[in-house]
Amino acid sequence: MRSARPPVVTWSLSIAALGASALMLLAFRSQLETVHVALVFLLVVLGASAYGGRLLGVTIAVASFLVFDWMFLPPYRTLLVRNPLDWLVLAVFLVTSLVAAQLLYLARAERVAIDSADALREADRLKDALLASVSHDLRTPLTTIKGLAHELQSLGDERALIIEEQTDRLNRLVTDLLDMARLNGGALRLDIQVNAVDDLLGAVVQHVAARPDRHRVIVSLDDPATLLFGRFDFVHTLRILANLVDNALKHGPVDTPVHVTGGLSGNEVVIRVSDHGPGVPEDERERIFTPFNRSGEAMTGGDSSGLGLSISRRLAEAQSGTLKCLAPPDRGALFELRLPKADIQEPA
Amino acid sequence: MVKRTALIIDDEEQIRRVIRHALSDDFPHIIEAATGAEGLDLAAAETPELVILDLGLPDMAGLEVCRDLRKWSTAAVVVLSAQHADQEKIKLLDSGADDYVTKPFSTLEFKARVRALLRRTALPGIGTGTVIQCGELKMDLTARTVSLSGKRVHLTPTEWELLRVLMTHGGRTMTHRQLFAAVWPGKSAGDAQQYLRVHVANVRRKIEANPINPRFIFTEPGVGYRFASCD
Repeated sequence: MRSARPPVVTWSLSIAALGASALMLLAFRSQLETVHVALVFLLVVLGASAYGGRLLGVTIAVASFLVFDWMFLPPYRTLLVRNPLDWLVLAVFLVTSLVAAQLLYLARAERVAIDSADALREADRLKDALLASVSHDLRTPLTTIKGLAHELQSLGDERALIIEEQTDRLNRLVTDLLDMARLNGGALRLDIQVNAVDDLLGAVVQHVAARPDRHRVIVSLDDPATLLFGRFDFVHTLRILANLVDNALKHGPVDTPVHVTGGLSGNEVVIRVSDHGPGVPEDERERIFTPFNRSGEAMTGGDSSGLGLSISRRLAEAQSGTLKCLAPPDRGALFELRLPKADIQEPA
Repeated sequence: MVKRTALIIDDEEQIRRVIRHALSDDFPHIIEAATGAEGLDLAAAETPELVILDLGLPDMAGLEVCRDLRKWSTAAVVVLSAQHADQEKIKLLDSGADDYVTKPFSTLEFKARVRALLRRTALPGIGTGTVIQCGELKMDLTARTVSLSGKRVHLTPTEWELLRVLMTHGGRTMTHRQLFAAVWPGKSAGDAQQYLRVHVANVRRKIEANPINPRFIFTEPGVGYRFASCD
């Protein structure tokens, strides 16, 4: 994180990055949602804080805030904001950037003080602590917004429902960003255990249980009579499947089923998720796993960060598994997750 | 009639406000603390029935507050945590917290969790000779038998013990470690611990109509298992 570059270079680079992202986003302004813009700017702020320190981080945060408001929130070319929901995005963006800049600064200040002997171990612990604290600091205001929206709803204001939905959406973005940071920073914790495929598929059913369209998700085993076990991290694997199922529900036409099946192939447990949507063209099937891929974003309906599939694949690979997008037998999209199977001698 | 009291320990005033609103239907008397130390003092003075505890307190770790509280209080403890803190949640449940809610939670989910928990703590103590019933599933603790819609279910001794522990703690999340300690007392966790999940899968195959859409034993991902909350 400590940069050997002189500050002038870091500052110029950060300002150039902000300018370049703003121009790039401007070209697509009509197709973008405000959340996408916020996300890209957030990355610029995080980069500036990481390489240039707190002053640069805060400067870039405030500058992006102004550019965001000026260029991307209607009415354009004014600091006015027409849509009240945009206020929410704008406010959360500013808070997120400032909190992140401050936390990165604190983490670095503490890091400098660490003796080099156990610097590595300590850095790992700090990375964990930093991410936990970012997570707590970002989710606490989201909890308040969500709770207050619920109160407003009980008073009969229907707009409150939209605020609650948008809060959930922001929470998903925060989760994706934190997971990506964890994967990139080597701070991912793995808890590989013998797990039953029954258990995993049951957790997928629980994941969609609160959705009004839960009946669309059809979960089954290739061979219902046999108990299957795999060696994997339950939480990370559930995250992969939840992501695939959410995508499938979004892309399949209303009232078409999403199938989740579990089976065995050689030494691997195989979980497939398929939908009846438009599917993924053959030449896109690899590309959708790269972060912020445009087609990947289009695939995920623009509602997510564009990070979901790339996080999922990396989570699968971290536990010696694979995640692929396959050619479906007829139409729609077909995703296949493979994980090592576990052989269990019947315990007493 | 004793006035029902709930205590909220959270340093964020806005969160306390949201929780106060959510609890106001069930609790006429709600007290609040912004620090762990203040919370412990209030808990000692007012003996609340329910404690809502945030993990990110400024003065002490939520874990310490929970351990301290558990030494002398029987209040139901619900922990508020940010996501990705599975390890912390497990430690808290192991040291006596009753349940947790992940931020940002929905008010409806929060209320449902609290009500289920209070219903459970309101149940009379389960002694020997009691029969526990949950839907068509019936457990006779004296005869050591389990039946499903009147039909006897054959369980191995380990499976029986596992189901007994889960059913006698209905509605409550049991961590893997708590279950392991209860089913294999005296044994150190390790190799055998992985079989816990295997045994749960086997029990589900015997009592659930559809083991991949369970109605009795629910999975709390990364944390443990929870038996349905039955009246």
